[in-house]
Amino acid sequence: MKKNLAVPVSLTLAIIITCLCSFFAAPDVKGPGRFPYKQAGLTERQAAAHLINRFTFGAKPGDIDAVVNIGLEKWFEQQLKGGLADDSLQQLLSAYSWLTMSNAEIVNTYPRPGKVVRAAVKEGLISKDSVNKTDKKEYREQLRLMMEQNSQRPQQELFRQLISQKIMRAAVTNNQLHEVLTDFWFNHFNVSITKNDCAAYIPAYERDVIRPNVVGEFRELVLKTAKSPAMLLYLDNFSSAGNNAGINNPGKAMVGKRLLAQRAAQQNDTALAGKFARKLQQAKKAQGLNENYAREVMELHTLGVDGGYTQQDVTQAARVLTGWTIYPSEDYGSVNAIRRMIERIGEDKLARGGFVHEGDFLFAMNRHDNGEKIVLGRKFPEGGGYEEGVQLLQMLADHPSTAKFISRKLAIKFVNDNPPQALVERMAKTFIEKKGKISEVLLTMVASPEFWSKQSLREKTKSPFELAMSSVRSLNASISQPYQLYTWINKMGQKMYYYQAPTGFPDKGQYWINTGALLNRMNFGLALAAQKIQGVKVDLLALNNNHEPESANSALAVYSKMMLPERDLGETIKRLTPLLNDPMLDSKIEQAAEKTAPIKDAAAGTGMSTADQLSQDDAMLVSSKQAGKKGRQQTRYTSDMAATKYPMLGQVVGIIIGSPEFQRR
Amino acid sequence: MTSRRAFLKSGGVALFGIGIGGVPSFMAKAAALNQSVAPYKKKKILVCVFQRGAMDGLMAVTPFTDNYLKAARPTLFMEAGSGKPLTDLDGRFGLHPAMKSFEPFFTDKRLAIVHGIGSPNTTRSHFDAQDYMESGTPFSKGTPSGWLNRAVGLLGHDASPFRAVSLTNSMPRSFYGDHPSVSITNLQDFAIQMRGNPAGANVAAKSFEDLYDKTTTGLLKETGKESFDALRMLQKANLSSYKPALNAVYPVCPLGNALKQIAQLIKMDVGLEVAFAESGGWDTHFNQGREQGVFARNAADLSNSITAFYNDMGPLQEDVTIMSMTEFGRTVRQNGTGGTDHGRASCNFILGNDVNGGLVHGQIQPLATENLEDGRDLAVTTDFRTVFREVACRHLNIQDKGTLFPSYSGAPIGVMRS
Repeated sequence: MKKNLAVPVSLTLAIIITCLCSFFAAPDVKGPGRFPYKQAGLTERQAAAHLINRFTFGAKPGDIDAVVNIGLEKWFEQQLKGGLADDSLQQLLSAYSWLTMSNAEIVNTYPRPGKVVRAAVKEGLISKDSVNKTDKKEYREQLRLMMEQNSQRPQQELFRQLISQKIMRAAVTNNQLHEVLTDFWFNHFNVSITKNDCAAYIPAYERDVIRPNVVGEFRELVLKTAKSPAMLLYLDNFSSAGNNAGINNPGKAMVGKRLLAQRAAQQNDTALAGKFARKLQQAKKAQGLNENYAREVMELHTLGVDGGYTQQDVTQAARVLTGWTIYPSEDYGSVNAIRRMIERIGEDKLARGGFVHEGDFLFAMNRHDNGEKIVLGRKFPEGGGYEEGVQLLQMLADHPSTAKFISRKLAIKFVNDNPPQALVERMAKTFIEKKGKISEVLLTMVASPEFWSKQSLREKTKSPFELAMSSVRSLNASISQPYQLYTWINKMGQKMYYYQAPTGFPDKGQYWINTGALLNRMNFGLALAAQKIQGVKVDLLALNNNHEPESANSALAVYSKMMLPERDLGETIKRLTPLLNDPMLDSKIEQAAEKTAPIKDAAAGTGMSTADQLSQDDAMLVSSKQAGKKGRQQTRYTSDMAATKYPMLGQVVGIIIGSPEFQRR
Repeated sequence: MTSRRAFLKSGGVALFGIGIGGVPSFMAKAAALNQSVAPYKKKKILVCVFQRGAMDGLMAVTPFTDNYLKAARPTLFMEAGSGKPLTDLDGRFGLHPAMKSFEPFFTDKRLAIVHGIGSPNTTRSHFDAQDYMESGTPFSKGTPSGWLNRAVGLLGHDASPFRAVSLTNSMPRSFYGDHPSVSITNLQDFAIQMRGNPAGANVAAKSFEDLYDKTTTGLLKETGKESFDALRMLQKANLSSYKPALNAVYPVCPLGNALKQIAQLIKMDVGLEVAFAESGGWDTHFNQGREQGVFARNAADLSNSITAFYNDMGPLQEDVTIMSMTEFGRTVRQNGTGGTDHGRASCNFILGNDVNGGLVHGQIQPLATENLEDGRDLAVTTDFRTVFREVACRHLNIQDKGTLFPSYSGAPIGVMRS
């Protein structure tokens, strides 16, 4: 016992000295003090590895050294703050033109497929009789030409670019924590491309509503998502109107439309009857209260399902939020009623009538329920207008149930699937004291012993996106076709941006790990390391200073240490050694590899044709030109498949990526 | 979440005994013995086919004596009887000519049709209506699980990795939830793959299997084991040379391909109990056609795929019931472009030996404007939940005490034999 005392004492001294040093070096940083990892028995390097595992998309070679050099606490503060220079990312992102477009520009540049067809019919480019009848090729060509003349692109391209930029950011950005949190908050305030109405607004939603607000006050996220066209359309609040809504009196309008519809039907005028019936439906849609958003903002975004609200509160909150709708920037069925209303009233008269127009958001006074409401015991007096909605959302965002619900969700994301209650309470306390400041809640979490405990270390299962990103990062891969990674991520069970329910993807290991998904994780590792994912290049030799390991065993030792830094890999290596020791292994693999037809392989390696990602409408809009371009890229790409020269090495690295240890973070 | 793990630890042990050093997988054992797995015998299988885009139920199964319909659809309406396109089912309803392969099943009372089926939520948005139908909660978007996942949870017995399988490229909303399920487009992908390098793939597979077997993480260890068991079972089956039973010819279309693979899983006895597949292209706003055209092509693919599947089942027909569903129906009146727009009620098909077949269930009023919902649509007279619940509970022998369709209490309408 006595002999061992010396070590902790000198360690403590070292800590004190380091603390003092960092204090003097950076007196402006109000840090949380040392992270308590030593108490949990971790070395500084192990602690750095844990931080990287939790707050980035995976360690790149050299990352641990970098974090240790900066200092763990300082690194974390930098990551919380964000804004680190990101030149190489900015250059890569310049390829995505929509990133600088407004929503109005986006919807006009990437029109909905149905709208393209209708426009072509209207302009007489294709006859309406020919839809579904004529040769698809000819039809497609017509549409393509028309879009080209109008400087338009297929909508599917927008979604592909959205996905691609997400992958590029995660792979490359220096502001990793902001990107991790963007993924987290997007999923928390989920919207989905599967819902056509809102799909076109999702790129700007992530860009303007989520990404700039990931470490700020939680209420900002609630308020801004509530006012975003993507959320207004996804959860239908855009259509919600009070029953006492005055000015345009939809009730009266409906009676008229119903009569017209019936008269036309009696006169057997099909087209006319259909037209009136549609109008009637629109009028009907416009008049009612829609509770969807009000329910989900309480259940999923703020209070949580056990947060202490009733159905009565949901209905009352929905009444508060009537009239919260979008300021339409396109000619589209669901929102045309609002367009017409604005035209009728006149843009200049909106403010005078109590309307609020902010960018894509519109508070439509004439659709707002002006009566008194009571939500969670708080009275919203008659005539509260737009402001009462803001007050309601702030009340929900600041609520003690919200503090617990959000703290717990953050702890599930960053600590483990069943975080300790004491930790959640501590975070919730900070949430309340610091007015929902997310960075403060995260600091409290990282300064807690629970974050560093054995129950937390490597206990999270990587989502398919995290697996793919940590793989390419650990191998310093260069990515020219990020969408190819997405086809794999989808195959492994995470169709990002397409999760249909407002709950977002469940954040727990059991959800990600099932038989089919697990085999695909293994296959992904093998395909990536064997250079069989198009447009994703890895230089395995460069990672080891261009030195080729002399045997499979040494490859295993070197690369597993590199890709799984600071982990105990004894067991993994022990298990694999006899298998990789097969004296015939190298020659077997090499022989087999020689027989490979690389071009066919590159295509087969993705396991999925790009066409099956597209709906029928979309597929029609993808020109044959693009297909040709793809073919050429493929040929060029296969000529430098470095890994085929070193099949053994590729195999070993593939096995490491597919191994159980690599699925954890 | 307990079912699968619990089985491997308890049920599987009880049935097969156990060697030292771990739980042997009953399936690997069965595969090694080259025989089918006894516990899976006599399991019932429910196959659901979602027709995405909203099928025009009035064209699939037409109330051909209805003069209002005839007037509302000048270029879409068809007559029934000899020399006429529609197959007269019961003097009132006629089956679309492209669905002729359904006729024998209807005649021998194994095929039931429910007309006027739909959701109490009046949305005409594809997304919302599909979402509500698949979650099974027509007024609540935040329900995290799908109704078929909850049905799987109610089975209350041992699970196989293949208990719930969706032949789609991503997990359908119906399958969201806590009970393990698999979505896959091609069973042959269920393998460790290094194209053109089978030796490499073998080494990799052995390595992975060993690594997962020895890992300390329970979830990864058990799922790894199941994955390799499942993989071996499928390898033995020789998927590519599959020959359907006599006179079953699957049409070349996504649904035919999906149902063929479901048939293979069923014949392999891998423990499949709930399967899901999709059929697309039903959103017929333009030129939907009559005897021929878009609708007819889709209807032929649907009925021929289901017919081939059912015939392929042979003696296993006893265990299998297949049900179609679609998010809503289409307008009674045809629109200005030879198609139909989003409506309310549609119809669905239920095929199986325990089905109360040979009948068109549900209630349909004459299609005069005053009988239509909002003056334009076939009214919803049967809540989809009542039918889904009756079919699932009766066929899978489960009890719904408020789990399958929470806070819904509609009584069964007798689409299944009691």
